[in-house]
Amino acid sequence: MPGRRAPAAPVDHSLCRRCQLSEPAITVRTEPLCAACFSRYVSTKVVKRMESFRVRHLEPGDERVLLLPLSFGPCSTALLHVLSHQLKGQAEKTSRTGYKLHVLHVECGNAATDSLLSKVRERYPEHVFSSCSLSDVLAVDGVPELFQQDPSSGQLEQEQGGSSPQGSLDSMFASLNSPTARDDLKQILIQKLVVAFAKQNNCEAVLWGDSATRLAERTLAETAKGRGASLPWVVADGDMLYGVPFYYPMRDLLRKEITAFASYVEPALEDIIVSEAVKPAVSTKNTTIDDLMKQYFESVEQEYPSIVANVVKTTSKLQATSLQGVETQCELCNVPLDGQAPERSRLCYGCIRTLPHLSS
Amino acid sequence: MPPHLCQLCNTARAQVLRPKNHARICANCFIATFERETAETITSSNLFQPGERIAIGASGGKDSTVLASVLKTLNERHGWGLDLVLLSIDEGITGYRDHSLDAVKRNSVEYDLPLKIVSYEELYGWSMDQVVAQVGKKGNCTYCGVFRRQALDRGAAMLGVAHVVTGHNADDVAETVLMNLLRGDLPRLSRATSIVTSTPRAGQPKASLDGQPAAVSFTNVKRSKPLMYAYEKEIVLYAHHKKLDYFSTECIYSPEAFRGSARTLIKNLERIRPESILDVVRSGVDMAKLVPDADGNCKGACGSRKATEIEVKHDGEEEEEAGGGGCGSGNGQETGGEMAEMEKKLLQDDRAEEEGTETHISMPVKAVNGQRHDGDEKVGPPAAALVGEANGQGHDRHKHPPMSTATTVPIRTKQEKKAGRRSGRDAPPPRQVLGQCERCGYLSSQAVCKACMLLEGLNKARPRTGIEVGSAGG
Repeated sequence: MPGRRAPAAPVDHSLCRRCQLSEPAITVRTEPLCAACFSRYVSTKVVKRMESFRVRHLEPGDERVLLLPLSFGPCSTALLHVLSHQLKGQAEKTSRTGYKLHVLHVECGNAATDSLLSKVRERYPEHVFSSCSLSDVLAVDGVPELFQQDPSSGQLEQEQGGSSPQGSLDSMFASLNSPTARDDLKQILIQKLVVAFAKQNNCEAVLWGDSATRLAERTLAETAKGRGASLPWVVADGDMLYGVPFYYPMRDLLRKEITAFASYVEPALEDIIVSEAVKPAVSTKNTTIDDLMKQYFESVEQEYPSIVANVVKTTSKLQATSLQGVETQCELCNVPLDGQAPERSRLCYGCIRTLPHLSS
Repeated sequence: MPPHLCQLCNTARAQVLRPKNHARICANCFIATFERETAETITSSNLFQPGERIAIGASGGKDSTVLASVLKTLNERHGWGLDLVLLSIDEGITGYRDHSLDAVKRNSVEYDLPLKIVSYEELYGWSMDQVVAQVGKKGNCTYCGVFRRQALDRGAAMLGVAHVVTGHNADDVAETVLMNLLRGDLPRLSRATSIVTSTPRAGQPKASLDGQPAAVSFTNVKRSKPLMYAYEKEIVLYAHHKKLDYFSTECIYSPEAFRGSARTLIKNLERIRPESILDVVRSGVDMAKLVPDADGNCKGACGSRKATEIEVKHDGEEEEEAGGGGCGSGNGQETGGEMAEMEKKLLQDDRAEEEGTETHISMPVKAVNGQRHDGDEKVGPPAAALVGEANGQGHDRHKHPPMSTATTVPIRTKQEKKAGRRSGRDAPPPRQVLGQCERCGYLSSQAVCKACMLLEGLNKARPRTGIEVGSAGG
């Protein structure tokens, strides 16, 4: 019907489904969108997750600081970008912001991150930036004891004698019997370090960049590592196993969507992103459980994106055990030990699998 | 490199590398260990009563053959006094079932255990070959799964046995855990790892009825999985070293996408870290405790806890059986696989939510039923989901009033009356106000159980008189 624009105007499938003005750049769950509409879609999804940190929730004179751990991967970098944008908008509209960001980079041995950090700092000068090394975790309360208390790790202590924290961290990792265990321990130590840092710097919560895909991977990976009991804390927003609540503002977005988003941002985010080299699935010898789940969901994400999202949604419905009245928690991962560990163990089953020589 | 010696006896050559702890042991020590561990599982979870009659769900495959052999051995060794029988289901799949049934028959002779075979044909009037001819290869697993669940119960009732053991192994359970995570089915996730899944009237009242096996109705049969902590690999090794006679084959019809996907994952996990299979099982057990609305979901596993009405419902209706009862790909749609279908459904849900066109028909029920219906709603055919919700309301407290008029085609059989009388009135029903299928009397949260619904669909296309639903007399 020419000349009349009914609300149900026929959709031009060659144009962006939302604005009907530009060529679509990407198909989001069967909806073709142009780059601009897609970017709006991404920001909306993230901002929606930040509800509890809106300006109007801020008491006058109060200051809320949130910690954003930045790995320079596409997800955490994109999160930083979107939130910076949101804060800028808030500042323009209300001349104040609902929260402030403290960005922390944890160095895990790959060198060239110094220059990246200064680039990011240049681009988003409004935030506070810090960096620390993973070996700093050895200064966190309880961590050194954890690795030295056991007599069987005596030789570990000797090797460490006088060497640098990095050296002792390296030998600790070297003492583990599988790549999966190393991967697992590294993730836990990063979390511990981030939490300790957040507490020291009065950060109210931690904002992780995990995408829906990553959370789905972690759901299955933690299950396979015998850590099913800790899943509610892994995937739910606002829960705290370590005393500081975790949030996952990117939880409604797939990894491929975030990667695409990062490539559309102007000026490009690419020179501040370290893309992980995709490990080909050659030998299972060096593949970790996390790698396996990553490969698996990479393919599921292509064909069945909603199933990925549904895994996360479902897992978030699991109810965390209340930490009140819990007598003992795993010394490594903090999960309550009642019923999750052999009698008189300091570690939960999952952590015993990772650190079998420290399990007594 | 010199051959390793067995770590247990230090004399014989090690032939087996155990996946769960990397121990290298000899064949004899392995067999002894395997049997000891199975016995431990059985005794630590109080699986059997002394003198209990047990039907072994025997398919002729490795798992059930090993189960029969181990149970026979342990029963004699420990003097449990169990009365063991073999129970086989003949789905009527030519080229698959006939050979494996031969294996069961040979086992029956060898172990001197009586054998009962019940066929889909005699129970439902349809063999799987005929079903497949009618609905095609896609989606027929739903029929098979739903039918099998009931068939085992009916077969057990015919034998007067109230307890069926199945050969599900650790790999199967782990697979089910991952599968239910993938398809977002929390209720089944919470059941997947219980070693006993029991229907409400099984268990407690049984004790007083001991010695009257004839009183077993097919609605109070209890299920358990004594091998749920045994690796599939070890089951194969046990069968190999004991030189058991089994028939190894996969069903010739299509496997489910979700299960297939989970199976591949489990196999890869095992390659990376063999312990992870039992770790998944452990995670499943732990997660079951975290499923909302599932307090006391340890159900059979720790017996006495209140088995809430809601939980038990589905238990009677369908199970996490291999071959997936009620996986919902039902009604033999010709469109893509199960995963594709779920993807489509989820997308529609998403869109409805975004556009605000969603109609929450089931809101008031939600509070009561919680997650219970989720799985079915999500994947089930829309019509079925609606029926479920509508009835759900009435069912929680009352016996179902004769709901629908048009859909009820009362084919009253002898069985129905019997079942109704016995389990409906005789059994002391404190909180067990559980719905029963109007037609066959099987446990159901809906007016008509899933099997009868599927049958109705099938029978519509094949006009026949005198269809016998559940001709299985007690």
